Amino acid sequence: MISFNNVSCTFSNKGGIKNTNFIINEGDFVFITGHSGAGKTTILRLIYMDLFPEIGEVTIRNYSSKKIKQKEIPHLRRKVGMLFQDFRLFPDRNVYQNVAISLYAAHYDLHDVKNKTFNMLEQLGIKNKWHHKPNELSGGEQQRVALARALIINPMVLLADEPTGNLDPKASIELLNLLYEINQNGTAVIMATHDYSLIKRIPEYRLLQVSDSKMVSIT
Amino acid sequence: MIVITFLIKEGFKSLIRSKYAGAFAILVIWIALIIVGLGFITARDALVTVNDIKTQFDIDIFLKKTSTPLEIKDLATTLTRMREIEEVEFISIDKAANIFEEEFGEDIFEILDYNPLPPSFTISLNRLYRNPTSVESIISKLRNEEIIDEIKYRKKFLLLLEKYQQTVLIVIVFIFLFLTLMSVLLISHSIKMTIFSRREIINTLKLIGATNNFIRSPFIIEGLLQGFIASCLASITIFLISYIQNNYLQPIFNYQIIIGYSYYISMIIFGSFMGFIGSIKAIRRFLA
Ligand SMILES: Nc1ncnc2c1ncn2[C@@H]1O[C@H](COP(=O)(O)OP(=O)(O)O)[C@@H](O)[C@H]1O
Ligand SMILES: [Mg+2]
Repeated sequence: MISFNNVSCTFSNKGGIKNTNFIINEGDFVFITGHSGAGKTTILRLIYMDLFPEIGEVTIRNYSSKKIKQKEIPHLRRKVGMLFQDFRLFPDRNVYQNVAISLYAAHYDLHDVKNKTFNMLEQLGIKNKWHHKPNELSGGEQQRVALARALIINPMVLLADEPTGNLDPKASIELLNLLYEINQNGTAVIMATHDYSLIKRIPEYRLLQVSDSKMVSIT
Repeated sequence: MIVITFLIKEGFKSLIRSKYAGAFAILVIWIALIIVGLGFITARDALVTVNDIKTQFDIDIFLKKTSTPLEIKDLATTLTRMREIEEVEFISIDKAANIFEEEFGEDIFEILDYNPLPPSFTISLNRLYRNPTSVESIISKLRNEEIIDEIKYRKKFLLLLEKYQQTVLIVIVFIFLFLTLMSVLLISHSIKMTIFSRREIINTLKLIGATNNFIRSPFIIEGLLQGFIASCLASITIFLISYIQNNYLQPIFNYQIIIGYSYYISMIIFGSFMGFIGSIKAIRRFLA
């Protein structure tokens, strides 16, 4: 589903990622680990084509980094859900609107937006907070809003860039349980983290280790 | 369709969120449109009132004394057929003598023993052609008519009028262009500020798969709304001004402001169009 074929993408400070090869399959749960600055975020940005490799090729289903047109990027992004350490919610919208906008932006089936959105909020246990603004929520709740926003358009893969970075241990574990549940339902999850204690929460996972801009190993 | 409704709502919200920047742009454009709108009416009335002095544009065509009735009849037909001409009056030599007597109180035959006055036509022009250029063009058309001896018209007056009209027109066009440009720039600036303050949100929208059009539309709608609101306000203001003038101030300023619906509609279309251009300009720079 996702393949990196001899990918190099480096920045002026020599950071980034070099000569990387791997394949991620449908339904995989992959952790990307490595110290800060190792290149985890770079890999994720290459997947959602926010960055393009200088050498090599990234392919996601039938989208290739070599061939994709600027116009097609939104379509790719609708297949790829994203979570960030800082949540990236829309601060001036309430919980409901933060999630529903995803349907509009993705031109997803707009039949019954209300029901779909409330169902999603219910699944993630934040339905009763639907009218709150993000800054009125705890970190764990905000990340769940972000998760709802990503999942509501049925992505094939969920990318999470240190999603527990701003969460307390309890909320972190809750989020991991949610991610596991999502993965069990068939969505691939790729999560960058340097918190090894969280990894063992997932019974079956793959591990992609990066260090100093190089992939050290993949299981 | 649902997406379009959503984006229009977003445009409204965006305008409301922009608070002072948006309100300021609307205020200034409102005032600018009042100036442009009243300027237009003043110019129209100033130019048209002069054109209403119908006889100032009359042309006297003096014929050769040798012209035969048939030739005169032919010319009369030619003249009546010209679309610039509203009325053709033939003044025979007898009639000319009568006019002479009326004006000078003396019978021409008593002075000269014969009638030296030539037959002539006096033509008055259609409203649309009461301007110096048209007068000149009519005269040049008649120049090769054999039986015409001399054409007289108020050349000095027409030249003066032309100068006056040109000056008014240039001033109006200049003010118009200046205010239009200023309005477009203001809208563009206000939209730029909105885009700038929302750049993180724009990035997030890109991440969740929004197309450029989806991201841009609310800003375009916001600009369009600014122009629309400002021009509606300006229309209402001008309507009130004309209403007050026509109903209460008539005794003081003897002047009736006549404005048709099309004027207001044009103003609103024009205002919205300015808003549209302004936001397109902002987007081209900042959301490419
Ligand atoms: N936009 C950028 N410009 C310059 N250097 C960057 C940029 N993004 C990342 N880097 C550098 O690339 C390296 C890897 O960054 P990143 O992939 O974000 O690491 P990680 O997510 O593992 O902490 C770092 O040294 C960082 O400074
Ligand atoms: Mg990172």
